[in-house]
Amino acid sequence: MNKVMTMQKAIAEHVHDGDFLYIGGYICRTPFSAVHELIRQGKKELTITRGNASDDFDMLIGAGAVKRFISTFISLGVYGLARCYRRSLEKGIPHKIEVEEYTNLSLPMMLMAGAMGMPFIPVKDMVGTDLMNVKGFMGEDKYRMISSPFDGSPVLLVPALKPDVGIIHVQQADEEGNAQMWGIGGDCKYGANASKKVIVSCERIVSRDVIGKDPSRTIVPDFKVVAVVEEPFASHPGYTPGFYDLDFSFGYLYQQASNTEEGFRAFLQEWIMDIPDRASYIQHYIDRFGYAQFRKLQAKFDYGFPVSYAY
Amino acid sequence: MIEHPKDYIKPELMACCGAREIHDGDVVVVGTGFPAMSANIAKHTHAPGAVMMQESGVYDARPGRPALSVGDACLNPGSAMIGGLTDVMGMFLQGGWVDVGFLSGAQVDRYGNLNTTCIGPYDSPRSRLPGSGGANPIGALARRTLIIVQHDPRRLAEKVDFITTPGYLNGPGARERWGLPAATGPWVIITNKGVMRFDAETKEAYLESYHPGCTLEEIRKNTGWDLKISAEVHETEPPRAVELKAIREVLDPHRMIRVYEGKGYV
Repeated sequence: MNKVMTMQKAIAEHVHDGDFLYIGGYICRTPFSAVHELIRQGKKELTITRGNASDDFDMLIGAGAVKRFISTFISLGVYGLARCYRRSLEKGIPHKIEVEEYTNLSLPMMLMAGAMGMPFIPVKDMVGTDLMNVKGFMGEDKYRMISSPFDGSPVLLVPALKPDVGIIHVQQADEEGNAQMWGIGGDCKYGANASKKVIVSCERIVSRDVIGKDPSRTIVPDFKVVAVVEEPFASHPGYTPGFYDLDFSFGYLYQQASNTEEGFRAFLQEWIMDIPDRASYIQHYIDRFGYAQFRKLQAKFDYGFPVSYAY
Repeated sequence: MIEHPKDYIKPELMACCGAREIHDGDVVVVGTGFPAMSANIAKHTHAPGAVMMQESGVYDARPGRPALSVGDACLNPGSAMIGGLTDVMGMFLQGGWVDVGFLSGAQVDRYGNLNTTCIGPYDSPRSRLPGSGGANPIGALARRTLIIVQHDPRRLAEKVDFITTPGYLNGPGARERWGLPAATGPWVIITNKGVMRFDAETKEAYLESYHPGCTLEEIRKNTGWDLKISAEVHETEPPRAVELKAIREVLDPHRMIRVYEGKGYV
């Protein structure tokens, strides 16, 4: 089945208020276009998760789309603390979100457990620290300590996560949704596969034949995917290996804007609410910063030995 | 005869202190800034066989520019392996393969417990910080955790507002009681004033050396607990010529390390 559609349609049809979303990316392949669409459509009461969150999660929080955040970490990287996140937790602006805190080991393992249909998974971190003492909306189900049935040693169990929708950005996918990515993975593979359905945005749609030339790169099979959206530059200001680099100056622009509530609202208006789709976003970027700046972000070519699976 | 040029800056000295804690052949989980600099100095001097990985999933990167985050685009091309968080944090760190981890934090106490979660009460923080990220598992599972912080009494606190990452928790035996792997834990605290190590019995940090120009009095005054001082306390060895050469000619020709002076590492 051909699942190619616009981002507008993908988000409108497959994401509902109150849903639990896994949103992939690790600065690398952040699905920014989808994040903007969630905000544009005014989705609310969302629960969001992934390891190492960044500016995209900060924006969702600032825009008031988030009720709950299963977190390990959130910052603006070199630009410091996440402004909207801080305003939410320190001042309740626009409202105080509920946070459940894990780590960059335990949360990816919880997603892996979800992907594999396991009810919970043992992890070796977190014990002895205040991460055990703070429990948010998951309450007692945040974790359990048991004695190992094998040798009696203390073991921490954390529950599997099964998001309603996984949203990821990849380099290429076919029309059915076989999604291929390369480069820094974060928790993308397990996050997507833990989800009940997956929205894939990609830099390019390729044929099923092209997918078959390098099938080891596929991280999500088509039967889990409900929407395929072809959107070049969809990770900006994040990056996609082989396509474009991080936009450090835009990161600074977001930090400066999000320093204040007014600045953040003006940013939302300019870069999300007044923009209908990703193509217009690119046009707006070029209008604002010039084509040379846009070109400067484009990746160089650096091919290795071509891969062959022939026998 | 080892040469010690006089024209170094404090962040260079701190990076060298970190480098000296890395042994040849170590598997090191690095972040950006000091950790990456220290690990690279070690690799260019006494530990050519040390290997590095980033928690995001990258092993043995060969970046063409200094990485500004552990997810930076420049870490991709040239690396030996790229996976994800479950690969580096799961298979390698939790699997018991990581020798050295580097951490920093808003606060650290005498047992090397670190706070990167909040200043003030958790439910109504004065300042909400990023959270654990990879810090907790690194502190829990790396054989030697190197801690780099700025030396003042707020950061080197009597009590941290939140234990995000385990040091020796509340003292001897605590890590063992929680089932953390044997022979892991904080190894050293490197500040802009000196180097602290952890007593094998009490698990408490004590001063091993003071940086040139710093006094014991000043260090005591800037530590939030009653800091014990080694009977063999001595001046920290300044950067060696070979270490500075690695920093300035190979690793950081644009002297980006100077930003740490602006952040107070003086």
